[in-house]
Amino acid sequence: MTGQLNTSGSPHIPAHFSVTKVMAWVLLALVPALFAHLFFFGIGLLVQIIIATTAGYLFEWWSLTWRRQPLKPFMTDLTVPVTALLFALCLPPIAPWYVAVVGMFFAIVVAKHLYGGLGNNIFNPAMVGFATILVAFPQAMSLWLPPTGLVPMGNELQAIGWQQSLSIIFLGFPQSVLPVDAITAATPLTALQTGLQQGFAQSEIVQGVVFGDFGGLGWEWIANWIFIGGLFLLYKRIITWHVPAAVLMTTIAASTPFYLFNADIYMSPQQHIFSGGIMLAAFFIATDPTSGCSANRGKIIFAAGVAILTVLIRNFGAYPDGVAFAVLLMNLSAPLIDRLTVPQPYGKKGQP
Amino acid sequence: MAELTDRLSTFHGGLVLKHHKELSARNKVVRVDRPQSLRISLRVNRGHVSEPVVAVGDRVNKYQVIAQPIHPFGVVVHAPFSGVISAIEEQPTAAPDAESAPCIELDTDDQDRHIDYLPPLPDNHRQTLIKRIQDAGILGMGGAGFPTHVKYDHQIPDLDSLLIINGAECEPYITCDERLMLDEPVALIKGTDILMQAVNASQAVIAIEDNLGGVKSLLDKTIQALDLPAIRVIKVPTIYPTGGEKQLIKVLTGLEVPSGQTPLSLGIVMQNVATTKAVYDAVEHNRPLTERLVTVTGDNVGRPGNYLTPVGTPFYHLLAQADCAMSDIDKLVVGGPMMGYPMPNVDIGVDKTTNCLLLLTKDSSKPDLATLPCIRCGDCVKACPQDLLPQQLFWYIQGDNLEKARDHHVFDCIECGACSWVCPSHIDLVSYYRYAKSELTYLDYKKAKAQLAKQRHESREQRLEDIKAERQAKRRAKTEKLKNKSQAKEEISAVLDRIKNKPKDDGKSS
Repeated sequence: MTGQLNTSGSPHIPAHFSVTKVMAWVLLALVPALFAHLFFFGIGLLVQIIIATTAGYLFEWWSLTWRRQPLKPFMTDLTVPVTALLFALCLPPIAPWYVAVVGMFFAIVVAKHLYGGLGNNIFNPAMVGFATILVAFPQAMSLWLPPTGLVPMGNELQAIGWQQSLSIIFLGFPQSVLPVDAITAATPLTALQTGLQQGFAQSEIVQGVVFGDFGGLGWEWIANWIFIGGLFLLYKRIITWHVPAAVLMTTIAASTPFYLFNADIYMSPQQHIFSGGIMLAAFFIATDPTSGCSANRGKIIFAAGVAILTVLIRNFGAYPDGVAFAVLLMNLSAPLIDRLTVPQPYGKKGQP
Repeated sequence: MAELTDRLSTFHGGLVLKHHKELSARNKVVRVDRPQSLRISLRVNRGHVSEPVVAVGDRVNKYQVIAQPIHPFGVVVHAPFSGVISAIEEQPTAAPDAESAPCIELDTDDQDRHIDYLPPLPDNHRQTLIKRIQDAGILGMGGAGFPTHVKYDHQIPDLDSLLIINGAECEPYITCDERLMLDEPVALIKGTDILMQAVNASQAVIAIEDNLGGVKSLLDKTIQALDLPAIRVIKVPTIYPTGGEKQLIKVLTGLEVPSGQTPLSLGIVMQNVATTKAVYDAVEHNRPLTERLVTVTGDNVGRPGNYLTPVGTPFYHLLAQADCAMSDIDKLVVGGPMMGYPMPNVDIGVDKTTNCLLLLTKDSSKPDLATLPCIRCGDCVKACPQDLLPQQLFWYIQGDNLEKARDHHVFDCIECGACSWVCPSHIDLVSYYRYAKSELTYLDYKKAKAQLAKQRHESREQRLEDIKAERQAKRRAKTEKLKNKSQAKEEISAVLDRIKNKPKDDGKSS
């Protein structure tokens, strides 16, 4: 007889799942898109990721300390790098360092810890961070680089290396040497919006070189790699098909009428899908379970809402892309959707 | 009545688990040596307590009745051996939380020539069979421990029903049902036939999981040999919890047992294979239920296998028989690893529902993983065989919003543990649901009691009010009469008469 035995509750055998593993799979699934990004927009993104992750961990540590929470489980759960990576993927690669730091402050401290920490956040932290800097630093947020191959030949700046990226990010533009316009370029969505404001028809604007083959140069390929990573998450059963399918199909369904109505001023469904943040939202952002809906029906409604709002903001809003705002608005509606979409359990099918 | 479907249906969710059955399945059944003393619980699982009909110091015969139910849902208890009653007292039992219940301690002896068999059956009528099942102290041996005869008493006599013999032991490690089917196919098939008569069923299905090798062909052969074509054997997919009553019914018939009702509402009776064997023994051999097969398995078990164990056998005795080294053992579980109950020590007696003793070392039992907050990942939703939203239930119960949990169907939870198993945050979800259910049940009880008290109070008030009103009405009527002269005269003379005719007072009463 060994004295008192352990009487903790069932089940008594472990399943070896953990939050850390879930987050690790998400990070892994983002790797293809990350490489595509680096390929098209240069090494600056890596610097942004490092800044965002470091800042994220510092803010996490600080928040946990003042909230008197245990450090070890939360510092090792890998949620910070996931937030940081998703956030950094939305950043212009040569945005000044403080942009990422401010964004991560709002993501980790405000959106996550002020609402009660892991699992209690109403809003998607990465999107809160992104929306904040989008409003706070409009100019810095336009510092997108041209995709590789777009930089005029013969210009010594065509590939921005480590040193240049670092110096621009940390020291700002050496204006005297480099005019900002010499190395930056509008994203396809921005180019389109500007073009439309200047009175060009869509068909003329998309002749521009940034528009690539079917979405935006570079962007369309990043979207493809995000798609591959998303399929991987589906395969690993980290996410279900409901959100990605609903986001993509609703985007097409919501943008088609506009396009048919007036192709001169509204983007084609294909451009909606392959440019901006919609693909990332479909697989990695609207699928965030904490700030999304629980039931399958709810997930579909939530995802459709994200897609419709994104299309509306892109078509009528002041911002070129609306994914972040769409996600945040739907985050707000998630509890209500949850309340209205409780599934009928076994033995209660067909009952009110 | 419920029909079997040609194609099997599926239920929502479920898990594919490593089943660990090879550990104990292949070894021959061992009859446990007679224990020196037995500790027989008078309450099985969470059922009703039976009343002892023997006293300390009494000598009892083998199979003698030692306790009788006082509640219709209780069961008769028989002595597994002859011997002397040494104590009757509250002791921890093999129930959830090792809850204490009255137990009879029996010092056994080997004078087994005194055996009180049940009397031979006069006939094979339905009521006779049901009475025999009751007299033999038989209950659901798959785990729930619901008295078997009660199921049949509530059966509408003329309704044709479907009998399902549940041989789908979906919990990992447990093999006592598989072993029973392999060793006693004739008893099982004949028992099934008896049950069909008892429940008025024209068809019966023996459901087994598709990972049991030779069982189906053996049973099929036996059915053929006994010429009982109304009995069929069907393999069901090995997905936890396919052996759950509701899930198995869904798989076999495509029907769902309506929430809050029993399978009888669909004309289905489900019985475990061990119960079926016990019914066979009671009817064919006039033997009450005093022993059962118990799987002893897990880590550090020298001789894992199935043991024919008398009810009341202390765990330490059974574990010693199986050569268990207890020094590194972290957990002793009664039942399977998914739904079983951990026991605080080995000084507890086997009862009629104890199907397995599972030993786990620290390494294989749940390591002390940090519990993180729920991230609402929804893995529990995908796993839930009842199609609930476990994470929402958790959310509401954590916030003590129990009524919301009720709205989210917490009472439909079957506590299978699939949600807890998949939870990446290692939250002990099932404990929350158990808490919510017991708390809500208690609140409902309190509310009903308060309601009753309120009703009583109100009707008392009403009664007092009525009496008062009646008195006032009388007084008013009298005053009215006195106002009228002729009537007043009559009244006065009536009163005088009454006084005159009053019997002489003996002065003691006033």
